[in-house]
Amino acid sequence: MHSIVIKNLKKYYQVYQKKPGLLGSISSLISRKYKTVKAVDDISFSINEGELVGFIGPNGAGKTTTLKCLSGLLYPNHGQISVLNFYPYDRKNEFLKNIALVMGQKNQLWWDLPPIDSFHLNKEVYEIDDEQFKKTLDELTNLLSLGNLISVPVRKLSLGERMKCELIGALLHRPKILFLDEPTIGLDVVMQKTIRDFIAAYNHRFKATIILTSHYMEDVKELCKRVIIIDKGKLLFDGNLSDIVKKYAPEKLLSITFDKFVNIRDLANIGDIKKYEYPHAIIAVKREDTSKIAALLLEKFSIDDLNIEEPDIEDIIRRVFSKK
Amino acid sequence: MKKYIRYWYLLSVNSFSAMMVSRFGGFLFLLGKGLRFSFFLIFIVLITQQTKSLSGYTLNQAVFFFLTFNIIDTISQLLFREVYRFRQLVVSGNLDHVLVKPISPLFRSLLGGADPFDLLMMIPFSVVTFIIAQSFHPTVFGIISYFVLIISGLLLAGAIHIFVLGLAILTTEIDHSIMIYRDITSMGRVPIDIYREPLRGFLTFVIPVGIMFTFPAKALMGLLSVGWVLIGIVISVFFLILSIKFWKYSLIRYSSASS
Amino acid sequence: MQKYIQVVKNTFAEYTAYRLNFLLWRVRMVVRLIVIYTLWQAFFSSQKVIFGYSESQILTYILISEIVANFVYSTRTQDLGSEIQQGNLTNYLLRPLNYFGFLLSRDILDKSLNVFFSIIEVILLFIFFKPQIILVQNFGHLLLFMTAVFIGVSLYFCISLTLSLFSFWTQESWAPRFLFFIISDFLSGGLFPLDILPKAIFNILNVLPFPYLLYFPLKIYLGQLTSQNIIQGMIISLLWLFMLIFIVKKVWAKGLRLYTAEGR
Repeated sequence: MHSIVIKNLKKYYQVYQKKPGLLGSISSLISRKYKTVKAVDDISFSINEGELVGFIGPNGAGKTTTLKCLSGLLYPNHGQISVLNFYPYDRKNEFLKNIALVMGQKNQLWWDLPPIDSFHLNKEVYEIDDEQFKKTLDELTNLLSLGNLISVPVRKLSLGERMKCELIGALLHRPKILFLDEPTIGLDVVMQKTIRDFIAAYNHRFKATIILTSHYMEDVKELCKRVIIIDKGKLLFDGNLSDIVKKYAPEKLLSITFDKFVNIRDLANIGDIKKYEYPHAIIAVKREDTSKIAALLLEKFSIDDLNIEEPDIEDIIRRVFSKK
Repeated sequence: MKKYIRYWYLLSVNSFSAMMVSRFGGFLFLLGKGLRFSFFLIFIVLITQQTKSLSGYTLNQAVFFFLTFNIIDTISQLLFREVYRFRQLVVSGNLDHVLVKPISPLFRSLLGGADPFDLLMMIPFSVVTFIIAQSFHPTVFGIISYFVLIISGLLLAGAIHIFVLGLAILTTEIDHSIMIYRDITSMGRVPIDIYREPLRGFLTFVIPVGIMFTFPAKALMGLLSVGWVLIGIVISVFFLILSIKFWKYSLIRYSSASS
Repeated sequence: MQKYIQVVKNTFAEYTAYRLNFLLWRVRMVVRLIVIYTLWQAFFSSQKVIFGYSESQILTYILISEIVANFVYSTRTQDLGSEIQQGNLTNYLLRPLNYFGFLLSRDILDKSLNVFFSIIEVILLFIFFKPQIILVQNFGHLLLFMTAVFIGVSLYFCISLTLSLFSFWTQESWAPRFLFFIISDFLSGGLFPLDILPKAIFNILNVLPFPYLLYFPLKIYLGQLTSQNIIQGMIISLLWLFMLIFIVKKVWAKGLRLYTAEGR
C-alpha cells in the first residue's frame, strides 16, 4: 500500500542577481534580472506505509523542497503528488491531521512559555481528545525521558531538550506520516543518538511512514534501509543502502597489522594501497578477489591481524555525487 | 466553530503570558498610546474652540468623531496585533509550521496575538465615549447602527490587514504597508466630510476610511440614513471577500524560507 | 577618510537591496504629509485666520517643517541599541574606526537621502495642491534659519544616541523610543505651531529642548520672531546641546565599561 507517490515533480524558483558596487545598487532599483533555479527537476518515487526512508544530497539539492511539496507547503510547477490519497496542496484538514513536519533548529514551540502550553494548543488544533492526549504525552515523554522539563519555559531549555520537546509537540496527534528535515543538526553526539533511537522506536511502535533528510551519515546508516539520493533537483539513486555500496563501491578494504616489517613495494601488486604506516596498512581490493587476496597475504607475509571492511559510506556517497 | 473559539482563547492566553514577560515595555507603550490620544484630543479641542465649529460640527460632535475613531482603531490593534509580527514569521520559516496544521493559517496569522495592553486601554476609552454619546440622546436605531457599523468597520480593517498579510508572503519586504494603513486611516480622526474633494471621495470609496470611522459616529448622532448604513455593510463585506481571495492567491506563490 | 566613504557606499547598498522597503518608507512620509496638510486645509475651509495664522502661513509651516523634520529625525543611531544588545558592538570596537565617525557617516547618508526625497515630495505636493507658499524674507533670516536647523539636528542626534545607550542597561529598546517619539512629535511643533497652546504651557515648553527641533527654526523662517526671541532661543538651545553632549560622553563611558566588563 503506497503512502506516498510522486510522479515527475518539478518546482522552480525565481532568484534575482545583483551586480556588485554602487552602480549595481542603483541599477537594481530600476530593473532586475531573474534566474530560474530548478530546485526539483523531475523526480519520481513511491513509498510504502511504515517505511523509514532517508533523503540524502548536498545543500541545495532539492531535498527540503521535495519535503515541502509533500507536506503541502509549496505549490508544484508540474507533476503529480499523492500522500495518503490526498493532494497535499489542497491542505484538507483530514490530510494535515495525519502528517507532521519537524525541522531541525526551527521551533514551533512558543519561546517564552513552557512546552506543555504549546502542547495544549496543538491538542486543540488537532482535535485530540483528553484521554488520547494524556496517553500519548506520557508515552512520548517516557520514551524521551523528559520528566518535568515540559513545564520549563522553552528559552531555558538546552538545544537537545528543546529538540525533544519539538518532537513531542509534533507527534501528539500520532501522525501516519512524519517528515523530518535535519532533526539532529547542531546536537551533540549523545543527543543525536537519543533522537535517532527515538525515531527508530517511533517507526517501530506506531508503524509511521518516515522521511528523513540529513547531512549526518550516522543518521542514515542507523535508521534507513532505503535511501533516495538527490542532487541538483534530480534523483540519482533510489534503493537499499546496501545496494549503493555494491553499485558504487566495487571494492572492499583490507585492514592489515603486520608482524614483521614489509616494504611498501612488495604490497604494490596486491591492490590499491590506501594507507601505509608500519605496522598498519589499508589496501583496497576488488570485491570478488577479497578472499583470494586475503589468503595470499596470509601466506606471503607474517600478519598479526587482518580485517575485511566495507568502504566508508561517506566516501561512497561523495563518489555518487562527483560522478554525476 | 467552537474549535476556533477555544483556539483563539488559548492563543490569546499564550500571547498575553508572553507579553507579560516584558511588561515594563508594555507599560511604556500604554503610556505612549495614552499620551498620543490625549495630545490629539487637546489639539481638536483647541482648534474647535478657536474656530467655533469644526466645519459645522460642534465641539462635542468633533470630539465624538475622534473618540469613535479611537475605539475602532484600538479594537483593531487589539485583535490584529499578530499582523505586526508576521514578517518575522515568514522570514524565520516558522510560517511553514503554521501552514502544516489542520487549522486556518489566515486565522492564526491575523488573530493569533491579541494585545492585552490595548484591552486595558479599552476600559477608559469606552467610558469616555459612552459619556459623550449620552449628550446626543441617541435613538435606538442610532445605537444599534453604531454597533453594527463599528463591527463593519472592524471587518474592513480586517480586510486591509489580510491584504497586508498576502503582500508580506509575496514580497517579504514589507515593514511599512501596515503603517501606511495606519497613517491613511488617521485621516479618520476627524469627520471625513471636512476634507475637500477629491480626497473625500477617495476616503469614502477607495480606502473606505469614511465608512470605517465617520459612518458609525454619524449613525449614533442621527445623521446617517438606513440606506447609507446598508451601503457601509455591503462595502465592508465586499472588501473582506476580495482580501481573502488575495490571501489564497499569495499562498500559491509562496516560496518558503530556504532550507 | 576612505573607510567612511565605504561606509556610506555600503549603507546605500543596503537601502537599494530592499528597494520596495525604501519606496514604501517614502510613501509613508508622503502619506503623513498629506494627512497633516489636508487636515489643516480642511480647518481653513470655514475660517480665514486660526490663532493668528493665515492659511498660507500654516501650509508653509507644514511643508517646510516636513523637510526640516526629515533632516532632524532621520538617523541610524537607533541601530546602536541593537548592536549593543546583540553584542555586535564588539566588532566595531575592535576595528581601527572611530565609532562616532562611523555613526555620523551613516547618518549623513541617511539624512541626505531622506532630505533629497522629501524635497522632491514637497515640490510634487506643491504642484498638486498649489498652496500660497511664503518664501523666507531675507538672507539674514535664511542664515539664522539654517543655524537653528543645524542646532536642532545636533540636538536630536545626541538625544537619539542617549536613548540607544540605555541598551547598555536594559533589554527594552523600542518602547522608550516609541514613548519619546510621541512626546517629541507633539512638543516639537510637528502637528501644529506651538504658540497656539495656552501661554503658561507655551512658556514652560520653551525651556525644554523640544521646540528647538522644529518649531523654533520654522518661526525664524516665517520671520515671526523678534531679535530678542531669536537670541533667547539660540542661547537655550545651545545650552541644551552642550548639556546633551556632556551627557552622551558620560553615559557612553559608563556604558562601555559595563559592556566590556561583561566580556562580550
